[in-house]
Amino acid sequence: MALADYKRDMEGCSRCSSCKWVPFNQIKSWRFAKNCPSICRYNFHAYSGSGRMIIANSILEGRSELNEAVAEIVYRCQLCGACDTACKVYRDDIDLTEVLLELRAFCVESGELLVEHMAVIDALKREDNVLGEPKERRGEWAAGLPLKDINRETCEVFFHAGCRYSYDPDLRDTLRGAVSLLLDAGVEVGIAGAEESCCGGRAYELGYRGEAANYADDLLSRVKASGARTLVTACADGYAHLRYLYPRMGKELPCEVLHITQYLDRLLAGGRLRLRNSLPTLFTYHDPCHLGRMGEPFLSDWKGDKLERPMSLKRAGRKGVYEEPRRLLRALPGAGLAEMERIREYAWCCGAGGGVLEAFPDFALWTAAERLEEALASGAEALATACPWCVRAFRDTASQAGIDLPVYDLIDLAVTAAGISVPAPA
Amino acid sequence: MSETAAKTFGTISEEAYRDLEEAVGPENASREPGVLDGYAWQPTNNDHPTERWVKRPVAVVLPGSTAEVQAVVRACNRHGLKFKAFSTGWGVWCGPTYDNVVQVDLRRMNRILEIDEKNMYAVVEPYAIAAQIQAEVMKKGLNLHIHGSGPNCSPLASATSGWGVGHDSIYMSYSPRNVLGAEWVLPDGEVLRLGAPGSGLGWFSGDGPGPSLRGVMRGSAGALSGLGIFTKCALKLYNWPGPPRIETEGCLLDARSEIPENMGFYLCAFPDRASFLEAVLKMGEAEIGYNALRTATAAYLNVMTPRLFKRLTDTKAIRDLMGKTLEYTIMMVLAANSREELDYQAGSLLSIVEDAGGIALDMSTQKPFVRMALMGFVRATIPALVFRIGGSFNTALDRNDALDTQENWRDACLAIKEEWISKGGILDDMGDNPYYVPYENNMWAHCEVVYQFDHRKPEHRAALEPIFLDFTIAALEQCMEPMFSSDPRVRAIIGPLAGGFNRWQREVSKALDPGEAADSTLYCGEGAFDLSAVDGAKVKRLNELIEKLKPEA
Ligand SMILES: Cc1cc2nc3c(=O)[nH]c(=O)nc-3n(C[C@H](O)[C@H](O)[C@H](O)COP(=O)(O)OP(=O)(O)OC[C@H]3O[C@@H](n4cnc5c(N)ncnc54)[C@H](O)[C@@H]3O)c2cc1C
Ligand code: SF4
Ligand code: SF4
Repeated sequence: MALADYKRDMEGCSRCSSCKWVPFNQIKSWRFAKNCPSICRYNFHAYSGSGRMIIANSILEGRSELNEAVAEIVYRCQLCGACDTACKVYRDDIDLTEVLLELRAFCVESGELLVEHMAVIDALKREDNVLGEPKERRGEWAAGLPLKDINRETCEVFFHAGCRYSYDPDLRDTLRGAVSLLLDAGVEVGIAGAEESCCGGRAYELGYRGEAANYADDLLSRVKASGARTLVTACADGYAHLRYLYPRMGKELPCEVLHITQYLDRLLAGGRLRLRNSLPTLFTYHDPCHLGRMGEPFLSDWKGDKLERPMSLKRAGRKGVYEEPRRLLRALPGAGLAEMERIREYAWCCGAGGGVLEAFPDFALWTAAERLEEALASGAEALATACPWCVRAFRDTASQAGIDLPVYDLIDLAVTAAGISVPAPA
Repeated sequence: MSETAAKTFGTISEEAYRDLEEAVGPENASREPGVLDGYAWQPTNNDHPTERWVKRPVAVVLPGSTAEVQAVVRACNRHGLKFKAFSTGWGVWCGPTYDNVVQVDLRRMNRILEIDEKNMYAVVEPYAIAAQIQAEVMKKGLNLHIHGSGPNCSPLASATSGWGVGHDSIYMSYSPRNVLGAEWVLPDGEVLRLGAPGSGLGWFSGDGPGPSLRGVMRGSAGALSGLGIFTKCALKLYNWPGPPRIETEGCLLDARSEIPENMGFYLCAFPDRASFLEAVLKMGEAEIGYNALRTATAAYLNVMTPRLFKRLTDTKAIRDLMGKTLEYTIMMVLAANSREELDYQAGSLLSIVEDAGGIALDMSTQKPFVRMALMGFVRATIPALVFRIGGSFNTALDRNDALDTQENWRDACLAIKEEWISKGGILDDMGDNPYYVPYENNMWAHCEVVYQFDHRKPEHRAALEPIFLDFTIAALEQCMEPMFSSDPRVRAIIGPLAGGFNRWQREVSKALDPGEAADSTLYCGEGAFDLSAVDGAKVKRLNELIEKLKPEA
């Protein structure tokens, strides 16, 4: 598909501005009524989902040109999908996120690149991860854990660690905790270790389609070789890409793809995960965009008039992963859940996605701070979430902005409540 | 910027742009073509045969205060530019109509400044949308009138500048009635405070102590930014007998709301027009109803399940059932302070309906429907679904008037729509699609008739202006001054026939806007229909009507 293939979507925009707001049934206050970080921060209509579609249409019609200033508007967006979900409350014929993604690819094809994004892509090409860390150290997080090496052995569950978890020293223990929970439940887990690469999703979002396809091929061949029937990832970003982008690129994995919270939820239901230790805390839960609305599976590549598209194929954000993490939280002994106002498919983003963290860190921080304010307003004592990018964004923001709110990865909470011992790295 | 494109669009001088930047701060001004096109894309209710774009503004500014609005307006006056304001900016009426317009996007002025619980009003800025205000005032047991376009819109814009009926009008009337004082930046940059705030006495009254220019400010349809920019206003609030927050899961069609205890939902159907009108008048006398909406049964199905609707309406028996058997229906939502009061209201309603020979279906027994539709009524979240069937809609706006005149209007529009549906100029919604709301003890009502189309289809776009002309002729047939007289083509025809209101508008504009800085086309501009391709018989009828209705010299 190319940008021009979405002209009808662009022309469908009625300029109602629903894409700037939490779906109206769900507006609970003046303060937390908005859903799009970009328009909230920069205010001109061009910074909304609708505005970017109008820009695209304007360029296609030769009314305006793609230049540096316009490209920067395109990139000052987390690709969080909140606009799309809100638009789809009313519309069946507009796939807003698709237009935003195509617009990115169009910018890249047209040579309107951001140096910060090029640095990410260079890092990817060099080290196979978006952080530019040495490839050979990717598997170090797993040192000493009894995991299978899928490069040589078959396994029941293929565990994909993801870039952020693999390298972020703060989050490595979380990752070790995740696989320890699986091992404790008797699951046979395999990893690719140093051979694991980025899933390629970030490259796709930044508009570098070729790179994304190469990484998809890499993972596809590894999964096939592993014989695994299930792939589990703890990275919400990766989850969305495997569930949505891969099939969209025609590279569907030949196994079930689950996020760790879904797998733990199954273990819990099956009595294989027992949460015993008390965590008497009132938590609020942040829905990561890529686990929630953006994690909705690929449904179809509908080619005809979208006004005729069956509703079951409309991607409206409702089929994301919302219940499993909440069930896990509620199952923590002594813990409570205080919901924020913007949740589920209309949750506010953590700010880190879409290349914003890399290119516009102040905007990423502002977006995360807004979410932390909302978390505080919920009355919660701590925030829990299920994505390493969100955890990183919130912890950094809390410390930089002096916001006193502990931020937890759900995995760590489950490990503590399960009372399992996570072996220290060998 | 390519050369061809540059030739097509107006530009702004360096000096003028610098002045604008100074007025609002450089980060709040833009003249980047891509950004400006975000304001030039105005497809809603745009009946241009080829273009969904309107004129591109030469610059856009985002003022954050009244003083900044004044500075922008003064800069426009100094540099021979025009300004066009909007609050949420939904609809063709928000865009520029000249080549030298500065778009004033009021999005940064978004606060609820005060909620006076005791005196039941809220003071708001332009970009506080209805859903936000409602969420806050409900916490205090209050509610506000939301005009029918829905919760994404600005109650200030509606109260001060444009139209204003909604399906809560039966309880809260319409927007012009609900403005209790306003802060108005006139087209020369001066600030005028209307009503009690004009004497520094707070915001409790729109008519004084202090100047009352409500008629000039607002008139019938609103000045649509043609007479300046409103920066604050007070909105009248009403009783909300429900909970501080309606607990709801889901977003709209998947929604499940907790139904407040003292609310009732009745779909009332009547055998014919006379019984319907009789009953609605009596409901007004009995002072019952929190929401009331008369629309065709088919219209619900049309927006909720458009694909199914298309299939069903191929079947004649189903068409007849929806179109004829359920022709005269009205949805009544009751809200009361106690169970006893609800019983009283429901009892009155049922006996009125029974006396008129109608039936009232208690929809609260239809839990899934009511739980889904509750917010649709109370927060008006449903109307934008009208875009679902074809991606676009227009509406034949009437002039608010007595109940029976509204039925005449509906009949006339139905005939026009049927003609255009059969010609393939608009989509088949079974023709009958009124948005009909009674108000003020149901002594009068508003009825606009919706028609849907896909503006991406050339045959639909080509039909838009001729359809609009047909509605104009129908209005003349009924000696009606329609609310769409804010359209310059309609004003030019109807103004001289209806007391010369167009002349008065021009005079008011001249007096308040000596520098001609406001983009006032929709307030007092005049234009002409393109009659070149219109059926000769229609043109003849138009001319006959103009002749017949001309006031005597
Ligand atoms: C689906 C749909 C249904 C609708 N149904 C109804 C209905 O039932 N009842 C009804 O009354 N209307 C209805 N409308 C019309 C509706 O009132 C307009 O669409 C309106 O534009 C909604 O947005 P808004 O109130 O935020 O005003 P805006 O879109 O911001 O502006 C409306 C007009 O007022 C002017 N304006 C706005 N703010 C200011 C200001 N601060 N100072 C000066 N001028 C200003 C603008 O220039 C524009 O001309 C409907 C529209 C749609 C699309
Ligand atoms: S919600 Fe959809 S139709 Fe409405 S302005 Fe946004 S993109 Fe356009
Ligand atoms: S993807 Fe997110 S940040 Fe980007 S326009 Fe949509 S809501 Fe705004």
